[in-house]
Amino acid sequence: MPPARPDRTRLACRLAAVAVAGALALVPLAQVDGPARAALAWLAAAGVLLAAGAAWPLPSLLGPALVVLLAEHVVVLLGRGGQVDAAAPLVGAGVLLYAELACWAQEARPTVHDEPAVTRARVAVLAVSVAGALGLGALVLLAAGLPAGDGLTRLAVGVVAATLTVGLVAAVARRTSTRRT
Amino acid sequence: MTRRPARKIAAYAGVTAVALLAGLALGRPEPVAVAAPLAVLVVAGLAAARDPELDVGATVDRDRAIVGDDVTVEVRLRAHRAVDRLELLLVVPPGLAGPAGVARPWALAVALRAGEERTIPVTLACRRWGAYRLGDLHLRAHDRFRLLTWEQHLDLRTPLKVFPQPEALRALVRPFETQVSTGSQVSRHRGDGIEFADIRPFLPGDRPRSINWRATARRGVPWVNERHPERTTEVVLFLDSFVDVRGERGSTLDLAVGAAASLAAAYLRQRDRVGLVSFGGFVQWLQPGSGQATLYRLLDTLMETQVFATVAWKGIRHLPPRTLPPKALVVAITPLLDERAVAALFDLLARGYDLAVVEVSPLAGTPAAGRGSGGLKPSPPESGGWEPLARRVWALERETLRHRYQRLGAAVVEWTEEVHLQQVLLEVEACRRHARIAPG
Repeated sequence: MPPARPDRTRLACRLAAVAVAGALALVPLAQVDGPARAALAWLAAAGVLLAAGAAWPLPSLLGPALVVLLAEHVVVLLGRGGQVDAAAPLVGAGVLLYAELACWAQEARPTVHDEPAVTRARVAVLAVSVAGALGLGALVLLAAGLPAGDGLTRLAVGVVAATLTVGLVAAVARRTSTRRT
Repeated sequence: MTRRPARKIAAYAGVTAVALLAGLALGRPEPVAVAAPLAVLVVAGLAAARDPELDVGATVDRDRAIVGDDVTVEVRLRAHRAVDRLELLLVVPPGLAGPAGVARPWALAVALRAGEERTIPVTLACRRWGAYRLGDLHLRAHDRFRLLTWEQHLDLRTPLKVFPQPEALRALVRPFETQVSTGSQVSRHRGDGIEFADIRPFLPGDRPRSINWRATARRGVPWVNERHPERTTEVVLFLDSFVDVRGERGSTLDLAVGAAASLAAAYLRQRDRVGLVSFGGFVQWLQPGSGQATLYRLLDTLMETQVFATVAWKGIRHLPPRTLPPKALVVAITPLLDERAVAALFDLLARGYDLAVVEVSPLAGTPAAGRGSGGLKPSPPESGGWEPLARRVWALERETLRHRYQRLGAAVVEWTEEVHLQQVLLEVEACRRHARIAPG
């Protein structure tokens, strides 16, 4: 039986998570000019710090880190006008990749020796999730381009869809409270 | 099993809500495209998650071992449903070392398919004697997307006794008196036996085979041989467990228990009767007995020895009378630190017991550099120089205590870690040859 390995998995996940978060935070900087760039730089710095904190000792920072990264992307969108950002699925996949890597870093413990099969399965699930995120993002953008009536109808559909989505997530998540099985 | 949600569920749900709100407010699909994977992962992952169904068992390849041996704990797993990741944490008790080489929890993460059976061997090294219970298992299962965690604690406690490494002892401390039953020890008394003692004139009732024909021919009247009979002895091992002084390289109790086990095995090998008094906060005793069964009883009792802190006064009058039979040799193994143990030994001497004291040096586990008596000129206290003087005073007090025992006829020999137990026993035996109760 091999002894527990040192903290390599945890360190690799942390570094990879911070690298992905850094890329997500820094790429929007190149897309804006002028005074918005300085504000965005502060936001990017906050995003990277929060992301690093979530990957290192403070897992409760995961939500705020994701929100800040998302906010940075929204600020860039505001400056683009009506043009649809085709890179949004990539951003979505990157956000998911960062979040999963940060969570993996929190789960990996130096005293626990993961069998290679477990690690391989985790990597495969992560790869499929990221690929699925890319496809799903593209589908959302394609669906948004479909003719769906006038602005009011689209807004109504959006509100209903958003409410249903949030309701579904909340309903499913609520059933997962701590309990004995 | 206790099921717990992962913290990321709340984060993903919150980000999804914020993104959808932003998308609605801005009238743009991009925030939705960014957050949709998070929402889908949560919903799909939770919908697909199932409670794991596991059968778990643990066995140890033996129930007795010697310090230095390796024992293998086999953990058997059977999954009725697939488990994507199962953390298996085996609690390694202090005194044993896990596969990582240190006494700490050891864990392995495995994946199990539905219906799969796995046996995971975990090798533990026995570093210290004692009675252990193995099989304290913690299980933690994860679903595929790590959204839920199931935890369970299993107490599959399997006993394991680790005995100290026996030391080879060729010479033992011999009691002054023997018992009446036949054994291997040559008695000081005269009677039927093998060892020649003396010759004396023939008396009516003497057997003709006892006649010493050479002496008879020389003196012209019958003379007979006298012999020493072979008898058993009773030895009581008196283990002082009031105090345990631990150092970097061991503890006084470790040494004492190891010595007691070695002495018990050596005496029993010579067909003597051996008893035990573990005298400390928790008093245990075994009446003298002989044979292999007694050895195992003694070892089992020794393995349960531990320091139990108490301020209650303990005396030997609390012991059953048959635990300390008359004419028995009492071998005390003690660091001579606790007042109650010191008083109990004086009590034994006052009651006429044949006492030999192996004093386990409290400095046995400390580095050799720290044992020096220091210089003759003490430094002022502000420079921390009183320690050598304090050591000397302490050493003098202990020397005085030893001298008091010796004046009462008991042999006392200090045992430091560098010295083999055999050498200590030889010193005790040499001491006893010259020991006499001092007048006054």
